[in-house]
Amino acid sequence: MRRWVTLGAAGLAALLLATPAWAETPPVARHVLPNGMTVLVRENPVAPVVAVSLQVRAGSRFETAETAGVTNLLLRSMIRGSARRSAVQLAEAAEEIGGSVDASGEVETAEIRGEALARHWEMLLGLIAEVALEPALAAEAIEQERRLVLSQIQTRGETPFPLSFDTVIRDLYGGHPYGWHSLGLKASVERLSREALLAHYREAFQPERMVLAVSGQVPGERVAKTAERLFSRLVRSAGAPAPAAAGPAPAGGRRVVARPAQQAQILIGYLGPGLADPTYPALRVLGAVLGGGMSGRLFVEIRDKRGLAYSIGVLTPYRTGPAFFLTYLGTARQNVAAAEAAVLEELERIRTTPVGAEELARAKAYLLGNLAMDRRTNARRAWYLAFFEAVGAGWGFPDRYARAVEAVTVAEVAATAQRYLRRPTIVLLEPQAR
Amino acid sequence: MSRLARPAPTLLVLLLAGACSVVSAPAPERSDTRTPARKVLNNGVRVVVQEFGESEVVSLHLWVRVGGRDEKPSELGLAHYLEHMLFKGTPLRAPGFVDREIEGLGGRINAGTSLDYTYYHVVLPGSRAVAGIEMFADIAVNSTLAESLLDLEKRVVLEEMRLGEDNPRRYLFRQLYQMLFDGHPYGRPVIGTEELVRGLTRETLVSFYRRHYVPESFVLVVVGPVKTAEVLAAAERTFGRLPRSGFQRLPATTPQDLPPKKLSVERPGTQAYLGMGWHGPKLDHADTPVVDLLVAVLGQSRSGRLTQALRERARLVTSVSAGYSALEAAGAVVVSAQLDPGKLERAEAEVLNEIRRVREREVTEGELRRAVTAAEARHAFSSETAEGRAWAFGRAEAVWRLEDELAYINRLRSVRPEQIRVAARRYLDLERYTRLALVPKPR
Repeated sequence: MRRWVTLGAAGLAALLLATPAWAETPPVARHVLPNGMTVLVRENPVAPVVAVSLQVRAGSRFETAETAGVTNLLLRSMIRGSARRSAVQLAEAAEEIGGSVDASGEVETAEIRGEALARHWEMLLGLIAEVALEPALAAEAIEQERRLVLSQIQTRGETPFPLSFDTVIRDLYGGHPYGWHSLGLKASVERLSREALLAHYREAFQPERMVLAVSGQVPGERVAKTAERLFSRLVRSAGAPAPAAAGPAPAGGRRVVARPAQQAQILIGYLGPGLADPTYPALRVLGAVLGGGMSGRLFVEIRDKRGLAYSIGVLTPYRTGPAFFLTYLGTARQNVAAAEAAVLEELERIRTTPVGAEELARAKAYLLGNLAMDRRTNARRAWYLAFFEAVGAGWGFPDRYARAVEAVTVAEVAATAQRYLRRPTIVLLEPQAR
Repeated sequence: MSRLARPAPTLLVLLLAGACSVVSAPAPERSDTRTPARKVLNNGVRVVVQEFGESEVVSLHLWVRVGGRDEKPSELGLAHYLEHMLFKGTPLRAPGFVDREIEGLGGRINAGTSLDYTYYHVVLPGSRAVAGIEMFADIAVNSTLAESLLDLEKRVVLEEMRLGEDNPRRYLFRQLYQMLFDGHPYGRPVIGTEELVRGLTRETLVSFYRRHYVPESFVLVVVGPVKTAEVLAAAERTFGRLPRSGFQRLPATTPQDLPPKKLSVERPGTQAYLGMGWHGPKLDHADTPVVDLLVAVLGQSRSGRLTQALRERARLVTSVSAGYSALEAAGAVVVSAQLDPGKLERAEAEVLNEIRRVREREVTEGELRRAVTAAEARHAFSSETAEGRAWAFGRAEAVWRLEDELAYINRLRSVRPEQIRVAARRYLDLERYTRLALVPKPR
């Protein structure tokens, strides 16, 4: 039985890497337009749909405390009208083709995304180009959007999990821009002027910083030609992206936030490497050993064996700079001490005791399965292509990363745990009686 | 969208069946025209198979025709509790089988419980389809439901309950359903109550399991790179050998007429939430597609009337939407919004104003066309993945009919603006409705 387990896991890992279906096929065509913008197209025959992701190398990581949220407010305002269409006309135009167009500023990139029935791909590309190149950015539209963004910020601050998450991230990163949500800060979003948004638009939407990815039941060559026609009016510029802030150095610590709630939230965070770092795959494997699915250590030890939580796991994002490694769980107020001690115990155990070979194989299979399954819809495929190309890792990053995950050893997991899981930053949301 | 690694899978309680719409039927053109194969085994197990060669994974769904509505008042929460316990092992499968047979192979398993049904779904590498069917057949009838694990899982479910309490939207919907279906099983919480969960015994759980997890209740759906004949043979060999139980599920009763009710509940925080509910047609009703489109025109897109009127023009809310859940015995149309507490009254009046408009004047051809196109697109997008397809087939077979599901888009296409106006007058009364407001608790 045991041997079968090992073989099974290894067998699938091999399948993941060797079988073309799991990898980036059908193939991706990459074009660089004369102005420097990159276009990636993947024909995918599975369903009669198309998805587009236009990502720009701008985002909250390039912001300061004064400009926090400028990227998101800009992108949100951009879908509120172009030189040719009002917000509702843009929305209706997308709905006519069975789709939607949306935009937001994220941490590493800003994204305009859309999807539609495949037969309307040309119209969809036209809409995305219109939003990206001819935004009206009317003062009234900005005010409307500012009101909604401020409300979102307020909601995050009143909802237990997002509040705890935002608090631990801020404590981990200090004043580094990774320390705030891409929505921005209340004080900065209240003050951002239309001029600041216009200036940010000119700085961000430069062709060398933009990647357009298209995935779906589309004719690849024609898509590339259409993209070139639509986006060639963007003029190449010499501007380099603003330098990202220097790396943070968390000091560790424990913060208690008291709020009216039914459940306590316990988040324990560390900073790990960025995605280009050779130790990044080992950190993700480590995360899967601890928090991967129903078989991860936290789920088994803390939920299955002790019934101390319902939601529990580990979060690690794709970041070019130091990525956080965060365990989370929600539990009843009377279980806080036991649950926190149990998570810390698991974090200590993984630092001091080598992970078994079978467990390692399982964690890898879980991680690779996750990656493969997350890259199946056209929307996700387009996002993956555009994101990794825009941040400089290249659209082929996920496959390289998968091979690196496959190669991670027991010793590397141990070394990664010892190196990064030090000085925890803890946030406890403590429920108060209502 | 910088994606976080996904949180651990959770066994989730679905408060609403088919949360926003029943639309998910295949579009006729350019879509996948391979009609799924359907077979009813001799003992009543229904099997649906679709060959989907482009998918490298196989999606397996086990739908069980049991949900919150099948519980006696003393059994509240059992269907959901049982769903948790089915992951805990059988005589053949020691606890930890999820690791060995699913996650250790890169696969996933999860489950959900609703008012009319419970379902389990697995995604596995395509070559593991038969192993997945064997696993389902085993846990479906042989789960150990060990006493020692029972008490631990109670604590997990109580945490799940607390989590739901802390989420204002979930809380709003649950309370609104309670008001809409007061005195009817649809008005009760699927997750149960703290008292009942704490007091639950193995005996009651086993008796519920034996009664409801029987061949006549099972729907097995398999979509992926499989051969229909092989899947059917595996289903015969496993599910087909279970003895027919003779169990007949009691039909759900029709809820009583809706008494108009207004309630405000204090919650922590500074923002308010508004929910307004009406009874809609049940799933198997000629008006179902009409109400689906009515709700889409009102509030399921950015250009929808409620968003345009309340958020964009009057600036009364920060978000608003309309939804329709078609259940086996009833339907629920719900408008929900997030807003400043000082604007509650005006927002409610403005929602009624928009409802008055759809009752009095026909929607435009453009609005109708976009709503139908959106439904067609939702179907096309759900057919991207094996599990998207399997979910639609499974739900249809469990609570409806597969052929109706497959023909649904065509029914939507035949709806005329006049029918929408008539449906609005029939279902969206301007006085007889239920309203729940969550308002900030004074500090």
